[in-house]
Amino acid sequence: MLSGTIALLAAGQAWAAQPVDWQIGFQPAATPIMEAIRWFEQYTLWFIIPITLLVLFLLAWVIIRYRASVNPVPSRTSHNTLVEVVWTVGPVVILLFIAIPSFQLLTAQYTPTEEPSLTIKATGNQWNWDYEYQIEEPFSFNAAMLQEGQRADFGKEDSAAYPRLLAVDNEIVVPVDATVRVLVTASDVIHAFAMPAFGVKVDAVPGRINETWFKATREGLYYGQCSELCGKDHAYMPIAIRVVSPELYDQWVGAAGSDLSGANRALMAAVEAQSKMASAAE
Amino acid sequence: MAGAAAHDDHHDHKPYGWTRWVYSTNHKDIGTLYLIFAIMAGIVGGFLSVMMRWELAEPGIQIFHGLASMVYGVEGDAAIDAGKHMYNAFTTAHGLVMIFFMVMPALIGGFANWMVPIMIGAPDMAFPRMNNISFWLLPPAFILLILSAFVPAGPGAYGVGGGWTIYPPLSTSGQPGPAMDLAILSLHIAGASSILGAINFITTIFNMRAPGMTLHKMPLFAWSVLITAFLLLLSLPVLAGGITMLLTDRNFGTAFFAPEAGGDPILFQHLFWFFGHPEVYILILPGFGIVSHIVSTFSRKPIFGYLGMAYAMVAIGVVGFVVWAHHMYTTGLSLETQRYFVFATMVIAVPTGVKIFSWIATMWGGSISMRTPMLWAIGFIFLFTVGGVTGVQLANAGLDRAMHDTYYVVAHFHYVLSLGAVFAIFAAWYYWFPKMSGYMYSPLIARTHFWVTFVGVNLVFFPQHFLGLAGMPRRYIDYPDAYAGWNMVSSYGSYLSAIGVLIFLYGVFEAFSKKREAGANPWGEGATTLEWQLPSPPPFHQWEQLPKIK
Amino acid sequence: MADAHAKPQHDYHIIDPSPWPFIASVGAFVMAIGAVAWMQALKSGSLNLFGLDFSAANYWIFAIGLLIVLYTMYAWWADTIKEGNEGHHTRVVSLHLRYGMIMFIASEVMFFVAWFWAFFDAALFPGEAAQVLRSDYTGGQWPPAGIEVLDPFHLPLYNTIILLLSGTTVTWAHHALLHDDRKGLVWGLALTVALGIFFSFVQVYEYMHAPFAFSDSIYGATFFMATGFHGFHVLIGTIFLLVCLLRAMAGGFTPKQHFGFEAAAWYWHFVDVVWLFLFAAIYVWASAGATIAVMH
Ligand code: HEA
Ligand code: HEA
Ligand code: CUA
Ligand SMILES: [Cu+2]
Repeated sequence: MLSGTIALLAAGQAWAAQPVDWQIGFQPAATPIMEAIRWFEQYTLWFIIPITLLVLFLLAWVIIRYRASVNPVPSRTSHNTLVEVVWTVGPVVILLFIAIPSFQLLTAQYTPTEEPSLTIKATGNQWNWDYEYQIEEPFSFNAAMLQEGQRADFGKEDSAAYPRLLAVDNEIVVPVDATVRVLVTASDVIHAFAMPAFGVKVDAVPGRINETWFKATREGLYYGQCSELCGKDHAYMPIAIRVVSPELYDQWVGAAGSDLSGANRALMAAVEAQSKMASAAE
Repeated sequence: MAGAAAHDDHHDHKPYGWTRWVYSTNHKDIGTLYLIFAIMAGIVGGFLSVMMRWELAEPGIQIFHGLASMVYGVEGDAAIDAGKHMYNAFTTAHGLVMIFFMVMPALIGGFANWMVPIMIGAPDMAFPRMNNISFWLLPPAFILLILSAFVPAGPGAYGVGGGWTIYPPLSTSGQPGPAMDLAILSLHIAGASSILGAINFITTIFNMRAPGMTLHKMPLFAWSVLITAFLLLLSLPVLAGGITMLLTDRNFGTAFFAPEAGGDPILFQHLFWFFGHPEVYILILPGFGIVSHIVSTFSRKPIFGYLGMAYAMVAIGVVGFVVWAHHMYTTGLSLETQRYFVFATMVIAVPTGVKIFSWIATMWGGSISMRTPMLWAIGFIFLFTVGGVTGVQLANAGLDRAMHDTYYVVAHFHYVLSLGAVFAIFAAWYYWFPKMSGYMYSPLIARTHFWVTFVGVNLVFFPQHFLGLAGMPRRYIDYPDAYAGWNMVSSYGSYLSAIGVLIFLYGVFEAFSKKREAGANPWGEGATTLEWQLPSPPPFHQWEQLPKIK
Repeated sequence: MADAHAKPQHDYHIIDPSPWPFIASVGAFVMAIGAVAWMQALKSGSLNLFGLDFSAANYWIFAIGLLIVLYTMYAWWADTIKEGNEGHHTRVVSLHLRYGMIMFIASEVMFFVAWFWAFFDAALFPGEAAQVLRSDYTGGQWPPAGIEVLDPFHLPLYNTIILLLSGTTVTWAHHALLHDDRKGLVWGLALTVALGIFFSFVQVYEYMHAPFAFSDSIYGATFFMATGFHGFHVLIGTIFLLVCLLRAMAGGFTPKQHFGFEAAAWYWHFVDVVWLFLFAAIYVWASAGATIAVMH
């Protein structure tokens, strides 16, 4: 419980989105779309919890009020047009209240606020991901789950920041506040590219290129997992995205094409230095 | 032809020995066979789920590598790999067994077979011999599915691990071994069984109602089965087509789902869900019918808004055919398509709400006795509502983006299935057990069964909402450590549910050994449908003199 | 055997216990195992159960299962006919049979919906932007680039005419039966059966000369499976009519009671209608603008 609270408190800072112990709600949002999803989920709860409680209350009421010992002679009523209209029209109205923001949310998910400045193609394989940066000097790399034995090789000994099953060897790196287009496909069977903190989930279907986008507004390291059953190691092909400042991103992208692990190490060192400075300043 | 039919002079002319069951043309005997089959399948499906929960009780792999080496004789890393696949095979088999071999046989083959002819005042089903093949196709289908667990799906992997939705290419090129072919043919046979059953029910209900029983006077359980039968008749053949395409893609080189030759993996999902969504209403509608009877009986009041109740089910059935792609929001459907399916899906909440509120209104002003069937029925109404409202959340594509393929969906569908359909099954069981067997169950054991199950399944599935929101994907043998807490709770819940099943079985045993006479109508004046006018158990052939309905 | 019952006061048919459902299920089981074994044998794979390799039996297990199923069908329907002749098919019972047949046909229609769905999924959307591999393969058009198609107004048109004609001959047989014209009945049926067989031969000939293959192409897959399942239904329908013909020649059916015949006729019309859709969609509509293969 304690570690959960700490992680939640830390949520405002860099190492944002991964699940925490005993969590009962969505992960904190790192994009406006996820903000909207979180809002909409809370909003629907304002309808469905009262509906459920109403049903519970009515059931309790009739059980107590009309139990045989209290009400030995049952009524014979079997019609009441008014209440029948009410409980038909009532839900219709509620559904309209749900539908309107729902359609807005859905439309927003398909309407990037600006032309994407970066396109990354993600290809799901059994059981790892290929990422291709479709930029002027395109490059691509493979990302697989970080094995326990590899932690030292990648400088990822800290299992709070690089949790088991979530950490990968090579993260996707994107600049903060940039609109990123993701093209998603697969090479063998269907996988799904999912990033809970971004409100992104899209199937990676062989032969098909699905498109999605995100605009991460908070720096940090974010985790997601393959979300379509793809065989024995379905649970072992996580997705990790590191959102960094534009400067750090530029440095990284300049180096990553030729020396990926060097660029990654430099980036990790820079991010760590940044966060040390930030916590010192507090 | 005369065969084993005893030519004795007894009026209750019933065949004896094993041929009575194997050659049966009697709807009650066939119904009994179905119920026994469903109980056995429920035990198998429950066993599979408890093993899954045992595995998921803690992060890491707990038991499946051991199971794999026990069953398949593999060792070391091969055992871990085989174990990971085996977990998927358990999930797949659990889903298929529960749906095709437990809920459908229990509700349609079992209770509907037993009660619909009696309730509508008919001496038997329209096609008594076909009724028997509907049943006897199920054991072969079940055996095929079980056999599939012991043959390869791919190198070092045994059993079908594609999920109950068997999406290609994982079910075609992804698992080339014969396991998948066995499972596909199992579904073909189970589907044929259900189609024949559907034809039988529709014909029976349309043509064999007692004189004076118009459709608008027909008991709601018969209504629910009629609509269910139409859903089966029109949706299952589409699944049959889809899985036939899987079969030919796998074995004969067709390219329906192979994109490199112009095929489309998503096509299968459309075909599957065009069946799959009506299927979920197939699983619940008979339960709706049962709950209506029980609520009315134990409130000693006629059903409130009878016609509204019947036509709400019609509406659910009709709309149920045009919402299928809400299972596919993340596959790359266009925005317009998603909008349509959001809208259509939400519509179903309206007729379902009519049912929920009409049940409560039936109880309103009644004289309610909380006997065991009523406990299960009320449990059903509440827990189904919980599952229904989360369904309405999922219907919103924008929100489903975050929930799809997480445990939120698992929680949703177990609330409507394991806490909906299964509660309806147990409600029906306690309601009709005295009628079917002639014996009264022990109310104490029955109530204990209810409370243990109620607590157990809620412990299993309520925390899964949290896991889903936190992002835990479904069909995972292992999960990040942060999900450990709620998973542990969920697993303990499943052990409790398993104890519930044992209490149920003991209750059945107890009732048959104590032989407390139940009498024709143990429920009193609230029980008004025709089955309560017959002795318990009913004669081998009832209504030789057709009842007249005023 | 109704006489053994304590005379029930209704017209329903309470059927005696029968071994056929159980035996047919055993047959279905053997057939399924046999089918998997056979498919494995075709791929030189194995189906190992209980330490035995079933695929070594090649198609034999399947064949045995099929024989069991066919035998039980024969025996089952023979019983049904016998019961009809014994007078068990009262008005209400024959109404059951009608409902049953109509609903069976409805389910068959839905089965074909699946094949049409597959066809239209590809034919209407051969070049969706997102479906990159499909677009590569088809060149964004239907029929896919490089596929030569059959001339719809050649053999397929003949076959359409053959089936339509057979629809009239079966109606002729029906009218003859209603007027107790036994000769007309037999002739009408015989012609229908002959036309059905003729259709199948033309179809086989067309398949043998088709300019595209069954495997490795969405075109072949949708074409052959849709028309192939139709052809299979033609075969069933022909056998069904043939049985009626044999029964008619043996003196079966009366102007009042001949549901077996009617069911066969309904089924035949259903097969006919499916063909019209196949012809209109797959042969005619989908060949517009495509290269038509020259047939020899
Ligand atoms: C018995 C089975 C059953 C039933 C009845 C339902 C009922 C519903 N289901 Fe569910 N569903 C499943 C079984 C079922 N479902 C299964 C098995 C899956 C997963 C399959 C898989 O992927 O393996 C699934 C998945 C599923 C999804 C896909 C999720 C995903 O994969 O991302 C969706 C999305 O729309 C959905 C929606 C609904 C809705 C809207 C209803 C509605 O019918 C619910 C209506 C009921 C109510 C709303 C409650 C009562 C109403 C009132 C009290 C009135 C007032 C209410 C309001 C105004 C809201 N279901
Ligand atoms: C009716 C359907 C049904 C029922 C009852 C259940 C019951 C249970 N299910 Fe499940 N489940 C599914 C249908 C069902 N399930 C489906 C479709 C899936 C998806 C599969 C996939 O992903 O492909 C799934 C998946 C699924 C998962 C997700 C696995 C994963 O994604 O990795 C889990 C995990 O906890 C789970 C657990 C359980 C548990 C603990 C129960 C317990 O409630 C079990 C306790 C047992 C009972 C309550 C039943 C007892 C019944 C009888 C003994 C019969 C009585 C009969 C008569 C009286 C006639 N199930
Ligand atoms: Cu990749 Cu699941
Ligand atoms: Cu659905």
